[in-house]
Order: sequence, then structure tokens, then C-alpha cells
Amino acid sequence: MMGSHISKPDEHGWVELNMGPQHPSTHGVLRLKVKLDGEIVKEVEPVIGYLHRNAEKICELDYYCDSMIYFDRMDYVGAMNMEVGYLEAAEKLLGIPPPERVQWIRVVMAELSRIASHLVWAGAFGLDLGMLTPFFYCFVEREKVLRIFVEACGSRQETNYMSIGGVYQDFNDKLVHDILEFTEQFPKKLDDIFNAYVKNDIFISRTKGIGILEPEVALDYGVTGPMLRASGVDYDVRKAEPYLVYDKINFDVPVSYKKDNLARFLVRFEEMRQAIKIINQAVKKIPDGPYFNPKAKKSLMIRLRGEGEVYARTESSKGEFGVYLVGDGGVKPYRVRVRSPSLKNLSVLPYLAKDQMIADLVAISGTIDLVFGEVDR
Amino acid sequence: MNVLTRLADFFAALGHYPAYILAYLFETLFLIVFVMVSLIAMIYIFRKYMARLQLRIGPNRVGKFGTLQLIADSLKLVGKESILPSGRDDLPYRIAPIIVFLGLVMGFALLPYGPLYFIGSLTVTHSDVSLLLLFAALAIMPIGEILAGISSRNKYAVVGALRGVAKDVSFEIPMMISVLALVMMASAKTANPLNLTNLVEVQFIPYGIPQVIGLGVFFIAMVARASFSPFDMSESDSELVSGHSTEYTGMRFGMFYMGLFGSIFLSSLIVSLLYLGGYNGPYSGYAGFIFLIIKGLILVLISFTIWLSVPRIRIDKFVNMGWKYLLPASIINLIIAGVLTLGLGI
Repeated sequence: MMGSHISKPDEHGWVELNMGPQHPSTHGVLRLKVKLDGEIVKEVEPVIGYLHRNAEKICELDYYCDSMIYFDRMDYVGAMNMEVGYLEAAEKLLGIPPPERVQWIRVVMAELSRIASHLVWAGAFGLDLGMLTPFFYCFVEREKVLRIFVEACGSRQETNYMSIGGVYQDFNDKLVHDILEFTEQFPKKLDDIFNAYVKNDIFISRTKGIGILEPEVALDYGVTGPMLRASGVDYDVRKAEPYLVYDKINFDVPVSYKKDNLARFLVRFEEMRQAIKIINQAVKKIPDGPYFNPKAKKSLMIRLRGEGEVYARTESSKGEFGVYLVGDGGVKPYRVRVRSPSLKNLSVLPYLAKDQMIADLVAISGTIDLVFGEVDR
Repeated sequence: MNVLTRLADFFAALGHYPAYILAYLFETLFLIVFVMVSLIAMIYIFRKYMARLQLRIGPNRVGKFGTLQLIADSLKLVGKESILPSGRDDLPYRIAPIIVFLGLVMGFALLPYGPLYFIGSLTVTHSDVSLLLLFAALAIMPIGEILAGISSRNKYAVVGALRGVAKDVSFEIPMMISVLALVMMASAKTANPLNLTNLVEVQFIPYGIPQVIGLGVFFIAMVARASFSPFDMSESDSELVSGHSTEYTGMRFGMFYMGLFGSIFLSSLIVSLLYLGGYNGPYSGYAGFIFLIIKGLILVLISFTIWLSVPRIRIDKFVNMGWKYLLPASIINLIIAGVLTLGLGI
């Protein structure tokens, strides 16, 4: 009954409306139970779980090396970031550090993936506001990133490129050339997309001063990533607790103090520019060496045993992505638990959307950058 | 000579009244065919143009360059099962799409299309108050949309209909005040400025030049009336699924769809008639119709470009805009028209 019958208003005179799970504005399968007073949203209750696939439990039933594909399918628009996140934990638990070359390759791939993810967001946010055209320009650029992934590992979205202690295939000269070609032309295209949005007064009027998220509230709700940085909190795992080789790379963390939809938009676009900066440095610094740790050869992979517990946090395109692994000395993990940033970011929606209009509810839920593979897991 | 008398002459052997009745019937048939054909052409142009702007190719499979795609689509719509929502208010639910489509055809019927070489004047309905009738006909379409929204018992549709009402109220007054300024200017030159044909023919220069503000206000109001983006809040697809037409399928939905594209074409024709000189132009005695269509199409393309490049305005901001900017602007325009006409005698 997706709002097909008019129910009686409740004691406040509010009408309940179900937006989703099949609704054009919800990214994926989010269902919002909305209480409306005319056009004004009085209460929002996000209902999640429509895409629950039990990924964490399945990971517990698999060898350490096999869990990667489930992480790919969590944040499916930025899969490389998920792989990095899982491997940070798994390699710590199994005691198999990746060689230097692999770390640089992973940084390049993770940042490319961040660009792809933010481009999907930028296009979809335009659709939320009723702006059709930039979507296609974003996806053309994203397609170029995906071509690089295909070149590297043969797959577009669910890449499964990295493996424990290494990567699936080494970088070759053509790949490096492709990446440099992409990073050279991308900033101009990004500026075009950026200008299509911000040089439009209607866009500014739809985003500026709307959906204000105070930093204290954001911290209380556990909001991380671009949403938190747009509220003026300078927290990025890449800087706060560097993993891989992020401490050897020169880049800035964009922070905005405006706290509104526009700030979140600007932070994400600036992050893409910084990602290009990181890729340009990292590609040139990739050292020679093996592309996998000899302790994790393919034939030995399923015999890897881990004991103890680890928690590793990484900065995915949505926010802080944490993986908690417990090993009992066997070939399979005893417990896998994921801290998914989208879920925590979604939890702040009822606060943000209260007393806003329906149109703003859609815009605000657009700026959260939800990917339901990750929220529901 | 015009189409009606020519048709009546053709049937003259049947006697005076039967000939005129037949002539009217045929003329109406021609009109509906004209509306349908121009809509199909319009939607084809829109899809191709949208595709080019969005780095896509657009329809290219059915027929040469995809020209038959729209025919295929409408056949698909006709063949679709018509799903009726169970809680509907039956009669309004069924007649709402018809009202929308009839309002559209009535609007087209009242326009003076100007002369075409061998046929003569193409005007369908002759009336001395065709300007008033035209705006009366334009007010019919929103009623269909509101009926559709309320009778289909869907919350999205209700919110869409309410937004439609708020929108209509806020642009119609500035729109009519701009038209009033036009009538004021024309009344200095012609005895009956309420006749659209007279109103077009007195435009020695297009009225959009002395009345730039009026043109702006009227064009915004016309785009809003057609529910074109950025004023498509009443059927905003990312918020309200599709507003008042959410519960409609098949040909009933097709009528709303035709209403949308038909009304942007109708709006463009009206703007070009009232402000851009309509069918006036060199050799307009022979090819005035073509001038009108070209002007209309240019305005349609401008509206398409606006649709594709701007986000949707929030309903409260649009209502604000209507009362705080459009209304004062139209009143200023009225004063300018008064000064030009009475003071300077233009």
C-alpha cells in the first residue's frame, strides 16, 4: 500500500505517507515513514533492511580470502574503498603486511573509486532536485574510471581487485598511462559539472541554508565523512590515523563551516579534486617490487589462520568505514562486524528533515549519499 | 476566405445548415489531427534534443531516425491495461484526463493561425472575444489536473493537486494583468482588441519590444501553466512520484502526457501571437502560418532548454515569486503600457 489509500489524519492533524521502498527519490530501497502537515514534514522514520543479505554472517562462513566479494557488494559504487577497509583488518589479523608497491597501488585505486562514488552522488543529487542533465555528464566521467578498473582487473563495479597481502594483477605501463590521461582531463570536466550546478540560482536557493547539521549533533549521531566535514569538524581517517601510505602523500582535507546542503556539495566536489591530487602523486611514486606478499600466494591463501581481534578504520567515500574481525585460530573468522558510514549518516535524517518541506526532505536525503548495499549489508 | 467557408462551399449541395455542420465537424477533425501530429513531432524533437544535450543518441530504432518511436509508444499506451485504483472517486477519475485534453484542444481551436497560401485563413473558431475565450479555455486544464489528484485517492496525487492549485493562483493574476496591458495598447489602434486576430494584426512592431516586462512575466506564467520545469512542482517526479497523474496508466496517462507537451506548444504559440507578432512577417499574406509555427517552435526549444538545465523551484518560493515579483512587475508593465498608449500615443 504505497500511499494508495488516504488514511485519516492523526490527533495532530498529520497525515502519514510512505515514501518508498519503491519511490523515485529514494536511492535504493529506503523507506521513509513521513508524517506530513500539508507540505511540512513533521516526523521522519527511516525504515531499512529491504536489502539485507546477511553479508557479515556469510563472511564468517568463508575463508578470509573469500570474503572480499561481499565487501565489494556493500558500497557497490565505491568498491575499492571497501576492499581496502576489509584488508586493513584482515592483514592485521593474519599478520601479512602488503609490500610497499601494493600499498601505493591501493591508494591509487581507492582514490579512483572515491571519485567514481562521488560522481554517482553528484549526478543523483541533481536528479533529486529535478535537474536531469548533469547526471549524464557525471556518468560519462565515471565510466572512464570504470574503464581503468576493467583494465586492471576485468570488472567494472564489483572489482574484487585486491587480495590478502597484494593485488590481483600488477600495474602495467598502459594502466599508468590511462590513469594519468584520466587525471589530466578530469579537472576541467569536473569544473564544467560544478559550474552547471553552482552557477544556477535555483540550485543555490534549494541548497543554501537548508538541512543545517550542527557539529555537536553530527558527533552525537556518529556522522562521519564528507557530511561531518561539511559541519566544520576536521576529521578524516586518512589524516587522523593514516593507513596505507597516506602519510607520505601531500593532500588537504576540505572542511566547510556552513553546515548546510551546499556545504556538503562543495566538500564532496573538493574531495574529488584532492583525490586527483593524491592519484597524481601516488602513480608517480609507485616503487618497483612484488605485487603480493609471498606468504599469501594463491595456493596458500585458504590456509591462512588468524587469532585475536582487530578493528581497522578507513575513510571510504561515505565516511569512516570500520571492520571488526575476531579470529579463533581457524581458517575462517569467528566474527565479522562492519561499521558502515551510510547507516550512521542516515540516522541523522529525522533530525535534519524535521519541519522542512517535502522537497527539502528529498534534497537532504540526497546529500547524505546513501548506498543501500552498505546500510543494510 | 477561410477554411470554414471553403469547406461549407464544398458541401453546398446539401443545403446551408447541413453544409456548415459538416464543415465544422471536418474542421474539428482537422484540428485534432493537427494537435496530435504536432504533439508527436514535438515529443520526438524533445527526446532527440534532450538526448543530444545529455550526450545520448535518443530514439533511433523504430523507423528512419526513430521517427516512428512515438507512434509505437502511443500504441503501447493504448494497448496497456487500464488499472483503476480501488478507492477512487469514479466519475471524476474517469473524466479528468478528458477534461485536460479537451481544454488543450479548445485552446488550439481559438488561436488565429494566420493565412496559408491557397487555403486562406486557418482560424478554426471565429469569435469577437476570442482573447477572453482563450484564457477561459486555458483555465479548464488545471481543473482536470486537480480533479485527477483528488479523485485518485493517493496522497502523492493530493499533494500534487494542492501544489497545482497554489501554483495556478499565484501566476494567473500577473498573467492576466500582462494581457490587460496588451489590450490597452491595442485599443488605441483597433475597435475590438479582444479579438485575437485584431490583436495580432495591429502589431506594427511585435508588442514584446515595448512590453519587455510583460513578455517576461507572461512567458514565465505560460511555462508555469504548462507545468514545465522549473515549475513542475505539481508532478515533481523525485518527490511526488508523478503528482496528480500518479494513479493513471495506459491511455489515460497518455492524455496527461499529451496535455503536458501540448500545453507547452500552445503556450509558445500564444506568446508568439501576443508578443512576437504572431503570423506577421514578410509575405505574411501567403505564409503567415509558417511564421507562427517557427516562432512557436523556437519558444518551445527555449522551454526545453530551461527544463533540462535548471532544478525545480520549491513551491513556497514559487508562490513568493508570483506575489512578490511577478505581480508588481506586471503592474509596472501596465503603467508603462498606459504611458505609451495614452501619453505618447503609440
